[in-house]
Amino acid sequence: MAVQILNESTEPTPGLLDVNNLEVVYNDSVVALRGVSITVPEGGFVSVLGTNGAGKTTLIRAITSLLFVHKGKIRDGEIELRGKRIAGSDSAKIVKAGICQVPEGRMLFPSLTVEENLRIGSSSRRNRAEINSDIERMFDLFPQIASRRKDVAGWLSGGEQQMVAVGRALMARPALLICDELSLGLAPQIVHTLFELLKQINQDEGTSILLIEQNARMALQYSKYAYILETGRVVLDGPSDVLESNEDVQEFYLGGAGEAAEAYATIKHYKKRKRWLL
Amino acid sequence: MDTFLQLTASGIALGSVYAMVALGFVLVFKSTDVLNFAHGEFLMLGSFLALTFLVEWNLNIVFAIVAIAFIVAALGVALHYGIMKPLVGQPLFSVVLVTIGIAIVIRAFLLMTYGPLERGRILALPQGQLDIGNLVIPYVDIILFLVSSAAVVIFYIFFKSTTIGLQMRAVAENLEAAAAMGVSPNKVFAVSWGIGALMAGVAGVMYGNFTAVIDLNLAAIGLRAFPAAMIGGLDSVEGAILGGLIVGVSEQLAAGYFGGDFRDVVAFGLMFVVLMVRPYGFFGTKDLIRV
Ligand SMILES: Nc1ncnc2c1ncn2[C@@H]1O[C@H](COP(=O)(O)OP(=O)(O)O)[C@@H](O)[C@H]1O
Ligand SMILES: [Mg+2]
Repeated sequence: MAVQILNESTEPTPGLLDVNNLEVVYNDSVVALRGVSITVPEGGFVSVLGTNGAGKTTLIRAITSLLFVHKGKIRDGEIELRGKRIAGSDSAKIVKAGICQVPEGRMLFPSLTVEENLRIGSSSRRNRAEINSDIERMFDLFPQIASRRKDVAGWLSGGEQQMVAVGRALMARPALLICDELSLGLAPQIVHTLFELLKQINQDEGTSILLIEQNARMALQYSKYAYILETGRVVLDGPSDVLESNEDVQEFYLGGAGEAAEAYATIKHYKKRKRWLL
Repeated sequence: MDTFLQLTASGIALGSVYAMVALGFVLVFKSTDVLNFAHGEFLMLGSFLALTFLVEWNLNIVFAIVAIAFIVAALGVALHYGIMKPLVGQPLFSVVLVTIGIAIVIRAFLLMTYGPLERGRILALPQGQLDIGNLVIPYVDIILFLVSSAAVVIFYIFFKSTTIGLQMRAVAENLEAAAAMGVSPNKVFAVSWGIGALMAGVAGVMYGNFTAVIDLNLAAIGLRAFPAAMIGGLDSVEGAILGGLIVGVSEQLAAGYFGGDFRDVVAFGLMFVVLMVRPYGFFGTKDLIRV
């Protein structure tokens, strides 16, 4: 079963986003990613799972050229958007080329209004009329924040802030929307609403989605393909439904193995076993 | 009472110039986290250029202000791309030292071009005065106030309601998030340096019409931006305006009642008192030491 998952034939064909053999270091010393390769097909819905510190956020920073903020560098590997190399280009150019994210921890501008936050999301665009009508569209999409449009974003509840963060990223009209730990710290009801919305955007508008999650159950349920990242390496990947029924995944990611120490011990064992299988 | 009103009136005129200077200083700090110790030299450059344009060449004052604003703003943008941008990621302290270096270079340039002798003040503005009862307000003071206020108000509208103004506020609040949304931090930094320098340069032209002499000590006026900005809050646009007015008025009052030597004492003394009570100034939020 596990061997089948790792079979070459289940690899998606090169698509919208291709990350090849990516190696990232912080401060020229801490290696955070060691040869990571992932693909998001055109119109795809892909998730990257992994525990805290696995390197998920680092992967996003590399893709969106934000490593510089954290003194991080791409040491090796390639990132391609529709076959064009984007690794290391200006972050603004990457947004313009079609990749925008909902960052971990939302990162709203707390003293700007909800509307101003949304407007910042359109920084890569020019057409004012279109931008204005897209802002109204966001308020249709999230009626809950419509009445708060002139309020400062810092006053909103966590769920409302996450809606603004998603709306802000959508204002870039991205071909690829990346969500980093969307579900973190939110009530299940709101998480459900947001995931349903992502599904709708993916199906109706063909926006590709790359979901970064610790909540493996939700992510596998909504995505079509998934990667599991551990200490900077992809240790497992495959179609989400196959991963969902995989016994290792069930045991270590879906079985509610909450205690960190326990999880760590089992993961080590798991990785050894996987290498042996390969 | 008449003396008090008289001093307050000229204090407001002077304070509006300080407000403009402090605004430029605060804007650069707010956007780029750099304390620009060449800000006073930008102002001085404005004053000396005004000497050339208005006294030597006898050009129209409106044209001179616009031209000088343009030159100094271009210098600010050039400094960003040529010097500050390559320094991104360096510790705040080294970057501040670099601004001191820039100050020295501008000063040397002015010394070589204009020589060490002091010049009289520029008389390009109408020299009459307005009499209101016992109060005597020179036209120069009124024009100073109007021009500075206009500059501040125009900037404020720009900052609050244009796309680039919004991007400046976003970058000041969270650079990473702004960059993640497709804002180009470098563009924002360059615009901030340009506008910051412009504010100082235009203030220099105006102050050149107000002060008794123009010489290489004029940069000290730019340093008045420091107490003004600290009193208002280093990262607050509103604070810079208020701080500038407070420093201007208290300075004129102190000079009028106790003598000119008290100018600096009052400006910086006031700063110490405010900082003891409110470490971030009246409106400030941001600590100088950031990690
Ligand atoms: N700014 C940073 N400087 C140094 N190391 C970092 C930095 N950010 C993350 N790391 C390290 O990189 C690794 C991956 O972190 P991260 O990408 O945040 O993981 P995740 O998002 O999966 O929780 C961790 O070991 C973390 O300590
Ligand atoms: Mg993370």
